[in-house]
Amino acid sequence: MDPLFLAYSYFRRRKYEQCVELCSQLLDKNPYDQAAWSLKTRALTEQVYIDEVDVDEEGIAELIMDDNSIAQVARPGTSLKVPGTGQGAPSQGVRPMSQSGRPLTGFVRPGTQSTRPGTMEQAIRTPRTAHTARPVTSASGRYVRLGTASMLSSPDGPFINLARLNMPKYSARPNLAKSLFEYIFHHENDVRNALDLASGATEACQFQDWWWKVQLGKCYYRLGMYRDAEKQFKSALKQQDMVDTYLYLCKVYVRLDQPLTAVEVYKQGLQRFIGEASLLTGIARVYEGMNDMSNTVQFYKDVLHQDNMSIEAIACIGTHYFYTDQPEIALKFYRRLLQMGVYNTELFNNLGLCCFYAQQYDMTLTCFERALSLASDDNMSDVWYNIGHVALGIGDLTLAYQSFRLALASNNDHAEAYNNLGVLEMKKGRLEMSRAFFQAAFNLAPHMYEPHYNFASMSDKVGDLQSSFNAARRASDAFSDHMDSKQLLSSLRKHFAML
Amino acid sequence: MLVPVFTLKLSHKINPRMVAIGHYDGKHPCLTCATTAGKVFIHNPHSRGTRGGRMEASMDSDLNLLNINQAVSCVTAGQMNPETKNDVLLVGTQTNVLAYDVENNSDLFYKDTPDGANAVVVGNLGSIENPVAIIGGNCSLQGYDLEGTDTYWTVTGDNVCSLCLVDFNGDNQNELVVGSEDFDIRVFREDEIISEMTETEAITSLCGMQDSRFGYALANGTVGVYDKSSRYWRIKSKNHAISIHAYDLDSDGVSELITGWSNGKIDARSDRSGEVIFKDNFAQAVAGIVEGDYRMDGTDLLICCSVDGEVRGYQPAGQEMKGNLMDTNVEQETIRELSQRKQNLLLELKNYEENQKAANMDRPSGLGELDQQQMGIIPANTQLQTTLNVNMGSESQRPHVELFIATTNETIIQAVLIFAEGIFDGESHVVHPPTATLSSSVRVPIVPPKDVPVDLHIKAFVGNKNSSQFHVFELTRQLPRFSMYSLADPKAEIPLPKSNVTLTLNERINRVVMWVNQTFLLHEDIVSEGPLNLTFLSLRGSGPLCFSMEQSGQMTIRTDDMDLAGDVIQALATFLNIEDLQSIAEFPEDMETLRQVLVKVDEFHSVRQKLTAEMADHSNLIRSLVVRAEDARLMSNMKHMRQGYMELYNLNRDLINGYKIRCNNHDELLRCLKSVNQAIQRAGRLRIGKYKTQVINSCRTAMRSNNVSLLFKIMKTGSS
Repeated sequence: MDPLFLAYSYFRRRKYEQCVELCSQLLDKNPYDQAAWSLKTRALTEQVYIDEVDVDEEGIAELIMDDNSIAQVARPGTSLKVPGTGQGAPSQGVRPMSQSGRPLTGFVRPGTQSTRPGTMEQAIRTPRTAHTARPVTSASGRYVRLGTASMLSSPDGPFINLARLNMPKYSARPNLAKSLFEYIFHHENDVRNALDLASGATEACQFQDWWWKVQLGKCYYRLGMYRDAEKQFKSALKQQDMVDTYLYLCKVYVRLDQPLTAVEVYKQGLQRFIGEASLLTGIARVYEGMNDMSNTVQFYKDVLHQDNMSIEAIACIGTHYFYTDQPEIALKFYRRLLQMGVYNTELFNNLGLCCFYAQQYDMTLTCFERALSLASDDNMSDVWYNIGHVALGIGDLTLAYQSFRLALASNNDHAEAYNNLGVLEMKKGRLEMSRAFFQAAFNLAPHMYEPHYNFASMSDKVGDLQSSFNAARRASDAFSDHMDSKQLLSSLRKHFAML
Repeated sequence: MLVPVFTLKLSHKINPRMVAIGHYDGKHPCLTCATTAGKVFIHNPHSRGTRGGRMEASMDSDLNLLNINQAVSCVTAGQMNPETKNDVLLVGTQTNVLAYDVENNSDLFYKDTPDGANAVVVGNLGSIENPVAIIGGNCSLQGYDLEGTDTYWTVTGDNVCSLCLVDFNGDNQNELVVGSEDFDIRVFREDEIISEMTETEAITSLCGMQDSRFGYALANGTVGVYDKSSRYWRIKSKNHAISIHAYDLDSDGVSELITGWSNGKIDARSDRSGEVIFKDNFAQAVAGIVEGDYRMDGTDLLICCSVDGEVRGYQPAGQEMKGNLMDTNVEQETIRELSQRKQNLLLELKNYEENQKAANMDRPSGLGELDQQQMGIIPANTQLQTTLNVNMGSESQRPHVELFIATTNETIIQAVLIFAEGIFDGESHVVHPPTATLSSSVRVPIVPPKDVPVDLHIKAFVGNKNSSQFHVFELTRQLPRFSMYSLADPKAEIPLPKSNVTLTLNERINRVVMWVNQTFLLHEDIVSEGPLNLTFLSLRGSGPLCFSMEQSGQMTIRTDDMDLAGDVIQALATFLNIEDLQSIAEFPEDMETLRQVLVKVDEFHSVRQKLTAEMADHSNLIRSLVVRAEDARLMSNMKHMRQGYMELYNLNRDLINGYKIRCNNHDELLRCLKSVNQAIQRAGRLRIGKYKTQVINSCRTAMRSNNVSLLFKIMKTGSS
């Protein structure tokens, strides 16, 4: 068989290793074989290809030294930096908040754990815990770790030596340029050279090819030149309507911290591509970022109308129902997920919780057992924590105590478990112990208001008014509408005034 | 005495001329100013307390800072969307312009403006349906609508400094008034110039007043008011006017011109006479003047800001003030004025008495010659004669126009004071010959920098040699437009210029000859029968200028200077009342220069792109280094931290070097783009009326599609 044909066949069957090997042999025989060369670049690219649209996490550096967003303090509800007061969302007391002041989401994706820390120290310290990791910058971050081969060493040097590549020559050849570009962009992760090639190529085709414009936009986006990226995407959209381009353009606006513009663009996209699920999901994500739960759920429901297999939408709606006191409905959504073949710890954990709150106690422990049997080191602690939570609910304090201990055994940074242990210890009257637990909890997770308040009320009882006052202040900083903290604070103020 | 109704201290600097007021939510006016470090702040005292949640933590003041990340060059706010009442904030920098919806924190459009953005104005222009944001850059004017599509584009003679929209000709449509660095105020009805006024300095501010009236301020400290194309009044100060604004301060129904000066003074002048009716002082230079209903009580206040962030609001004076806004007493003021006049009159009277005394002195021989001289009496028939001549210059002197002033008898001219706009530095010129060389004639060399007709107001002090009192002769002479050209000897062999413009006039040759006689400085009027053939030599050294005209009306103007050709055609068309005129232009040298410039522009663009990418890459790296170094610091790993910061330092230096290169590149690019715009403008000036507009618009289209050969064809033939 013709080796090139075979190589193509391997490529189509996604057997990239064999394809690369075959192409290398062809190229050894004839180094000027363009077809083999092009195929090899494509195969190498496919090996490490990741979807640009979804994989995107802001690095610490971008977060701290953000100078792209225009308004430093925008009106609430118009910015992702300052989440709004939460329309249609349950309060922080019911639905826990992440550190950014956003409610926990039902679906973990890059960016949902995003924190907007106040200071550099906070930013650097937070990812030090074992379970969150944030790249230093997005340029050096996940792309290097996930999506590129540039860190791998190849035995006989790189396939293409970029430094010696004659860019103008390649950019004038449309048949080679596109695959070469993807190779440089995805495989080598060398955005500057990719940009060089793309700008040459778009000029060579008289600025008529929208594809090159999108690629240019991608390069600019990676380099952090959002305004240039915006221009390229817009110009590409003028030539050719593409869902992808809309998604990229919206990413740019999200980075510029203009969520309403992003939603506007998504809606424009929806006019051209009616009911496109990825666009609807995009809108829902933006609203979720702004804490606008009623709109989020609305759009996730629209997603489900179009694509009833969307795990993200089902999970998010499920979570929403769970936290708005409708565990039975949440249970339905999670069962749907189970039907679709999602079979993991998190799902069983959630099912267990839903069953518990829906008073189907027979199923609760079975679900948690399933979850435990599937759990890995990463999420074991969460399952044990939830079991402890259920045990607290049925009044079995010993089981609860043991569960929280087990949660800490698998992850000793589990702040919630520390907090609950503290409460249990306080009940037992071991104040020193509980004090230590509370301190551990609020040092690990300063954004949680519970350990602060617990610490404050305990200190108040033992008469350490100064630390009580401080802790209560921290609690009301974390959750400004918390009544108990406010009451404690005002009574302490009165007390101090009397002195 | 009018006192401010409120005073605010904003703790931010305000850039001069970058103050605007906008109703971003449709109701509340917000003061918006550009401040240092590429930021714009919005002062919004009205929606206090409506914020909630986490915002409270950062509510240190009512200010909201916007990051622009580039030095801001102009700021304005205005309604662009006819459907809503919300104002749009427009911020221009040297490379782009941003239209921003403050209320929703979203961009409306963000456009690159390679020509820069020196001034911006929002409003309705001509018959364009929706409001446009007009951006004045280097030689170009660009208008965008709400979506950011450019609905308007034209070129102008030089860098635009100021813009305003005024209903100039009373047709209920706004015309665009443009002040530029070449001292010209041009009025555009959409893309056609309907009027052009020449001033004496760059026009730094313009503001529309009532009807067709508008105020202006120049870089040399002049402030004045125009009604249509005639000037009402002007005053000059040693300070610079930063900002002008029309506001009815004394509630008489007519707007006054409010001026903010660089020394912190604010004054309000009556629009008819320029008389000061109110003044106040800031500690620092004034940054801007706007008006808005800042207290939300239904009356528009005058709001003045100084550069260090002090804001004062003035309410229009009530009826009981009777227009008397100054704190001085009227009676006192009048008495002071009258006693001043009395003093002057007494002095004059004394002079006359002295003369009288001398005349009546009892002396048999009557009035002696000597006495007459002492008293400054000159013969009654003394006349002052002036002639304008072209002087071809000599070794020591450049060619110039010579103004020769002489008396008809042996009285001498002590001094000559010439007042003319735009010829001398500072408008006036005094010739005061040393006593030894006093004679009955004075020669004044004049070198007008531009080809414009100028009125010379001459005042000569005439008297006898040793008299202490002089007679002042006042007269006015007009310097014709093309005075810096001398008629060449028809026999002399002058090489013909390579470039020419050909046009067809439906006029007799005589009329053209008449025009030549009027606008050139000639010894004697030209009389021409049959085909016309004239050659002039430029005193500025830009080569010969030849006219030839056939009986058929075909006229050829030969000169290598495209600007001059444009000036000639414009002047000729005004004289002959031509409304539309097409011409064929042949300027091989200019075209070649333009071609080279365009090649250069391409190069600069590609270099710029590379540099920008490099810079972005570096800045990403720097950020990650900062984080790493800080990380090391938090871990108390001083060795690593030191290393990190050392790397950072080196990289930072690289970045700064790169920035300098980029700056130079950008400056070059700007210059090139400016010269392209000027070339288009020159090509436009070779045509009149609709053909001119047509040339400019089709040049624009050709530039957009990057079609150089089409561009040259349009410039040559006037159509595509």
